[in-house]
Amino acid sequence: MDIFITGYGVISAIGKNVEENFSSLTQERTAIKQGLKSYTSKFKVGEIGLSNDALKAEFDLKTDGSRTALLGMVAAKEAFKNHSHFDTLRTGLISGTSVGGMDISEVEYRKQMAGEEPNFKQYFHHPSGTTSEQIAAELGITGFVNTISTACSSAANAIMIGARLIRSGQLDRVVVGGTDSLTQFTIFGFRSLMIFDDEWCKPFDNSRKGLNLGEGAGYIVLESQKSLETTGKIALAKLTGWSNASDAYHQTASSPDGDGAILSMNQALKQAELEPKDINYVNAHGTATPNNDLSESKAFINVFNGKVPPFSSTKSYTGHTLAASGGIESVFAILSIQNNILFPNLNHTSPIEETGLIPIKNIQKNTEVTHVLSNSFGFGGNNSTLIFSKI
Amino acid sequence: MKIISHSYINPKGAFLNGQNVLIATEENYLKSYFSELEIDYSKFYKMDLLSKAAFLGDYLLHNSYKDLLNVENELQFVFANASSSKETDIRFIESYERKKNPSPSLFVYTLPNILTGELAIKHKWFGENIFYILTKFDSDFFNDQIAMSFLRGNEYCLCGWVEMTGSPEDECFMFLVAKSEVVNENLSNKLNEILNNYRNE
Amino acid sequence: MSELKEQLKSQIIEQLNLEDLTPADIKNDSPLFGDEGLGLDSIDALEFIVLLDSFYGIKIEDPAAAREIFHSVDSMAAFIESKK
Repeated sequence: MDIFITGYGVISAIGKNVEENFSSLTQERTAIKQGLKSYTSKFKVGEIGLSNDALKAEFDLKTDGSRTALLGMVAAKEAFKNHSHFDTLRTGLISGTSVGGMDISEVEYRKQMAGEEPNFKQYFHHPSGTTSEQIAAELGITGFVNTISTACSSAANAIMIGARLIRSGQLDRVVVGGTDSLTQFTIFGFRSLMIFDDEWCKPFDNSRKGLNLGEGAGYIVLESQKSLETTGKIALAKLTGWSNASDAYHQTASSPDGDGAILSMNQALKQAELEPKDINYVNAHGTATPNNDLSESKAFINVFNGKVPPFSSTKSYTGHTLAASGGIESVFAILSIQNNILFPNLNHTSPIEETGLIPIKNIQKNTEVTHVLSNSFGFGGNNSTLIFSKI
Repeated sequence: MKIISHSYINPKGAFLNGQNVLIATEENYLKSYFSELEIDYSKFYKMDLLSKAAFLGDYLLHNSYKDLLNVENELQFVFANASSSKETDIRFIESYERKKNPSPSLFVYTLPNILTGELAIKHKWFGENIFYILTKFDSDFFNDQIAMSFLRGNEYCLCGWVEMTGSPEDECFMFLVAKSEVVNENLSNKLNEILNNYRNE
Repeated sequence: MSELKEQLKSQIIEQLNLEDLTPADIKNDSPLFGDEGLGLDSIDALEFIVLLDSFYGIKIEDPAAAREIFHSVDSMAAFIESKK
């Protein structure tokens, strides 16, 4: 059964909608810079320069929520715009997040610890599930709503589960993706792991030091053929392959040879009934940590039998948006297909010594892009791969 | 599909397939179960509550999966809870707010899906793994997830509801499901029955 | 020196959240890392860096180079003594 994509929406540091993101991507314009908030000012981050109130005002959001929820609403609303509700169509929403409403609760908790009276009502925003429910409420989706929390592969897994729900006949149409905002919790956490780069990150570069965090949200709308007959939507692309596998190595580091990545990429290709050589572009997980980029590179060499297709990490534009990354990067994958364009891996000078792989250095237009593979690897060894194809 | 085995852990005891196998001898009941089972796995000590509970719940089931074929590739983890990694999250916040030193070893556990990662690491299982956040244990939801998993080609599902927040109501309910000749059997009622029996022990 | 070692063991237990263990469970010369020891890994090495800084005021810039210092309670105690 074909799974069609009939909507996409994104908000990230490089733009507040699909058009702005695309413009930044094609103009090779990164948004990673010194943070503006008190807890991000010491780091290079991909921050969205709109406050919560500004988000509510600019996007006319009716539902209240944490920053994570608001960003999710913006992107999901864009994806679902021009979609209507039908009684005969079972529509759901699956959202991935790691932060949930922590941007609000960490503030209240601090008050509590300082002996002040917190506003207990604010804790209602905390649960990851509440984020999804608020996004669904904003879109008027009353069907099946669910939340996935598998770290940086959350959005990719949400997309996968959405496709399975359609294929197994439980839903006709589903909004899928993920959202995460920058919080003090995540900044301190990643800093304690010593995997930041104090400067602009360098994915797949030999001198890479670590990642830059980012925030954002990305959602796509999946529909079955039957659903298309009701909605009458034109499909933007197809979701043809998806897979998840365990790396079974360490809680936060990837296995040296990229075992989990090899499994997820091979399985996704098998499901899409494609050969490795059919892939025209790989949007890598590419966090720019010494560990991930080497591990993922080795996995590429293995899966593609040495003939690695053009690849890039767009995290040098947006930063690592954690649970949202699979959703945001899915939108980028679809843009690549629609526009026959390959997005570059910014800030790259020399290839990794052990592999010699060179990513896409500059934007490449007028390149036939039929199949795109996108990786999202989460802590806990949760490795996911998605494949998108031209109609 | 059929339930091959199930285990249950809470502050009062540990149970396998409906039988009480361990009784908590101290307040730190997870530590007491670990000691009594004489498990040799030093990594247990640094795990958080979620991972410790799932580790023990899984250990109790090990006789039922040790002879399964190709389990390292054909088994999917399907786990869920309501509070995510809240207990560890709070300890992590305290490490930087109160102690002024954000703790990396705590941060590692501020994601609920690390528990499936720990099981995968221990067994060297490479199958699919997913973690959901639900408002409460939902047997219909698990039933549907298992059905979808088998449709995709998995042979087994190791499922768990691991709700551990450091309260007396904490529980870790795990069950191993395999494909069977009866394809469309709905496990929902059976799961509710098993869990209710455990809760009433 | 033995008082320092006992103190270190308590600090290791506290810093690494090994609440189930007591100082008596940790031998002075046992490897702390890997499966033979306490099963500690690279993340825990980061905790040791924090420990040395917050309890002893010793700063370590390169985690990788510090692995040898963290081999056992004996080696950590010797290192701390040498910095006095």
